[in-house]
Amino acid sequence: MQHDPQPAGFWKRNQMKIAPYVFFAPGALMFSIYVLIPIVQSIWISFQDWDGLGPKTWIGLANYVELLDDDTFYVALKNNLLWLGLYLLAIPMGLAAALFLNQNVWGIRLYKSMFFFPFVISQVVVGLMFTWFYAPDFGLFSQMIKWLTGSEVAILADERYVTYGIIVAGLWPQTAYCMILYLTGLNNLNSEQIEAARMDNARGWRLLRHVILPQLAPATFIAMVVTVIGALRSFDLVSIMTAGGPYGSSQVLSYFMYEQALSEYGYRMGYGAAIAVVLFLIMMVFITLFIVRMIAQERNR
Amino acid sequence: MAEVSLSNVKKDFGAISIIKGIDLEIKDGEFCVFVGPSGCGKSTLLRMIAGLEDISQGALRIGGRDMTKIGPSDRGVAMVFQSYALYPHMTVGENIGFGLRMTGHEKAEIAKRTAAAAKMLQLEPLLERKPGQLSGGQRQRVAIGRAIVRNPEVFLFDEPLSNLDASLRVQMRGEISRLHQDLGATMIYVTHDQVEAMTMADKIVVLSAGRIEQVGSPLELYHRPKNLFVAGFIGSPKMNFIPVDARPHNGGIEVTLPGGATLQLAGTLAAAGKMTLGLRPEHASATGAGDAVLPAKVQLAEHLGSETLFFVSLADGTEIAVKADGLAAERPGDTMQIGFPARACHLFDADGNAVLNGDLTR
Amino acid sequence: MFPTPIQKASGPTRLAYQIALPIALVIWLFPLIGVAVTSLRPASDLAAGNYFGVPSSIAFENYASVFRDSPIGWYILNSFKVTIPTVIGAVGLSCLTGFALAVYGFRANLWVFFAFVAGNFIPFQILMVPVRDLTLKAGLYDSTLGLVLFHVAFQTGFCTLFMRNFIKGMPFALIESARVEGVSEWQIFRHIVLPLMRPAIAALSVLVFTFVWNDYFWATVLVQGQHAMPVTAGLYALNGQWVAAWHLVSAGSIVAALPPVLMFFLMQRHFIAGLTLGATKG
Repeated sequence: MQHDPQPAGFWKRNQMKIAPYVFFAPGALMFSIYVLIPIVQSIWISFQDWDGLGPKTWIGLANYVELLDDDTFYVALKNNLLWLGLYLLAIPMGLAAALFLNQNVWGIRLYKSMFFFPFVISQVVVGLMFTWFYAPDFGLFSQMIKWLTGSEVAILADERYVTYGIIVAGLWPQTAYCMILYLTGLNNLNSEQIEAARMDNARGWRLLRHVILPQLAPATFIAMVVTVIGALRSFDLVSIMTAGGPYGSSQVLSYFMYEQALSEYGYRMGYGAAIAVVLFLIMMVFITLFIVRMIAQERNR
Repeated sequence: MAEVSLSNVKKDFGAISIIKGIDLEIKDGEFCVFVGPSGCGKSTLLRMIAGLEDISQGALRIGGRDMTKIGPSDRGVAMVFQSYALYPHMTVGENIGFGLRMTGHEKAEIAKRTAAAAKMLQLEPLLERKPGQLSGGQRQRVAIGRAIVRNPEVFLFDEPLSNLDASLRVQMRGEISRLHQDLGATMIYVTHDQVEAMTMADKIVVLSAGRIEQVGSPLELYHRPKNLFVAGFIGSPKMNFIPVDARPHNGGIEVTLPGGATLQLAGTLAAAGKMTLGLRPEHASATGAGDAVLPAKVQLAEHLGSETLFFVSLADGTEIAVKADGLAAERPGDTMQIGFPARACHLFDADGNAVLNGDLTR
Repeated sequence: MFPTPIQKASGPTRLAYQIALPIALVIWLFPLIGVAVTSLRPASDLAAGNYFGVPSSIAFENYASVFRDSPIGWYILNSFKVTIPTVIGAVGLSCLTGFALAVYGFRANLWVFFAFVAGNFIPFQILMVPVRDLTLKAGLYDSTLGLVLFHVAFQTGFCTLFMRNFIKGMPFALIESARVEGVSEWQIFRHIVLPLMRPAIAALSVLVFTFVWNDYFWATVLVQGQHAMPVTAGLYALNGQWVAAWHLVSAGSIVAALPPVLMFFLMQRHFIAGLTLGATKG
């Protein structure tokens, strides 16, 4: 008999039952403390009046009622929708960039990396770059507008254009992200299918539409997920470029919440939490859709 | 002593029953092959013996000890996987010695046993290589080596040859059989290939849909299949099944073949009825020698050189295969006379159970 | 390959493509190039209104001055103090949790999966108030450790999914084979799975490094003072001080962007493998 030399101890006999939890516990604990429980706490706090230090006072739905009366809330909501809609442009733009770069010429690897560059840079730096880019008098963009139209526009100081200006800054890295997703997708195309389609006389746009895009569906899905989430999470650029201004015209929910909770006129944690809950609920709609699809995929595997 | 004994072993996944009550005794030192079509539960059964799947009901004993609830590492079994499961980041030597190293054996002991296993399997020149640098057959041998070093009492093989090409499969078949002779250990071997089962086994267990159809030696299964399933599964090309009318007649059985010819079989029959006559292609006569002779039309002729395989249709359209001489010259469309020797015929009732097995010694 | 390889196209098309490539790149990176040039422009040029022309001289002086006259060096050190422990912590923890989720069947597996995915995508704002409060109460407000703990926890969500999928892609027979050989579950993790996870570990390390280095929100929420401030928040603070000193802002931006950029170029393959995992196979 070549059985294990040591007698089977408790651990050995029960390890199949215990091991999963031992492996799982540390990460799950951290994740619960810092992510799962705070979500519940935030919802709880949204029903309170709280300055972050003193005692909390239960005020029921008062924070939400106030929110519905707050003009800034509607501006932020409208801007969030604008972000969502325009941010999705990153997907076709990324696809176009990927199609443009999916060649095998000398130095193409370097080109791909350089095109991807904006995504690697911090949004703070992106924000500063575009602030400089838009700056009146000496910003490159302003100069181009002046050269084209003869009049100067201060994008970030103009209520009409400011949100668009920030979204363009956001599209820059986001397009790069989508591009890299599509480049990988293009790399893994089924070449026999494409050859078959070419023999069936499909080419150009129709080949792209009927053969390539369906094969790129997983990449498109991921691009959708990250773009929608990215649009609703937009905070850094707004904070860096305008701090919500001018006159709150470039507010988005994420920045609005931050501003209210840690406002210079006194902390309003309860009100901030209520804004966060609204943003959270909006995002959960999308997250749930994504997860339902992911789980369906997992099942089909 | 390491006999393996299963009594009323069952496996359920939720509401679905995969293994539906298996009773089986495998003797010490026996080479037992589980064979069956894919999805019949043979791999699950093997994995239950290994301890990789829980046993939902029933009991498993290895070497007399109850192993039903014991973890895989304490059952004294070693397993060779279909994919070989070699650790890609370890050399051949490390792969073979890994289990010993992890269970606290001394270095010298590990080295000694690794060397012995390597020698036995002619792996010595490959000990420093990584699995990625080996051919399929070599990987297979490493996987076997990993099992051997542990001196298990029971070897479990899960379709180990299915990833090899045909000629290598024949060679490895021989090597595993030789290994069995040298080690004298109990081996349980799962395959879907009945040729592997026939060539290697002391005992074949034919499984279908989670049940044992028949247990026996290769020749027993070949000559005396208990039912249509086993009759059809064992033997290549597979047995011909011909619908017939059978009735008791003169202390024997008279069957009416397609086209009206009759055939007298020895044996007894309780009542007349529609039945299935089984006749292996190698026992049918393409030259019309037999106790009944039927005209048939050639549909397809496969010339294999050593023999010719004719696929012919009988009067009612039933297609049967007939093995003939390698020089047989009939072509599709020709008519042949097929002879049915009574002593080679099997008869199955409407439920598919054998009423009568042929007996070639007669 | 799609589109059709340019090599099969006619000569003029090929030439046009070769010319279009660098032009497209320059347009694409216009803001970056502008900032890079400005960062090397002497202050006198800006004062004289030479914003776009050829710099009168190459002023590495701007970089020297950024380091000399501002705490940016200190900020960068802080960023490393946050980023490196986070990478180690998050990747380490997620190796364990990913292994647990991939190898064992949990009864609540689906819910756990849901929680990790959802947790990965939620808005930071829903966590802000309680996490800030928790950090304050733990006495970790305004410290790099406070940031590290949060980042480790949050990134563990994303990393766990990544690791789980990666381990699921390994042949399960490796693990079963080891089990039959009497190898304990911990040894299986340590000696079989962990060595095979190296590519995933590399990919995640680069990704987490970039994510955490570039984080701005939590740096402003959990840190106030200079002593613990990472470079993203620090840069924003400096931007307030250097009003209109664009040569300094530019130099500072370039400096702050450099570590992740270097990381990206050194570990490009891992980075892209990490980002696109799951994007190609359904």
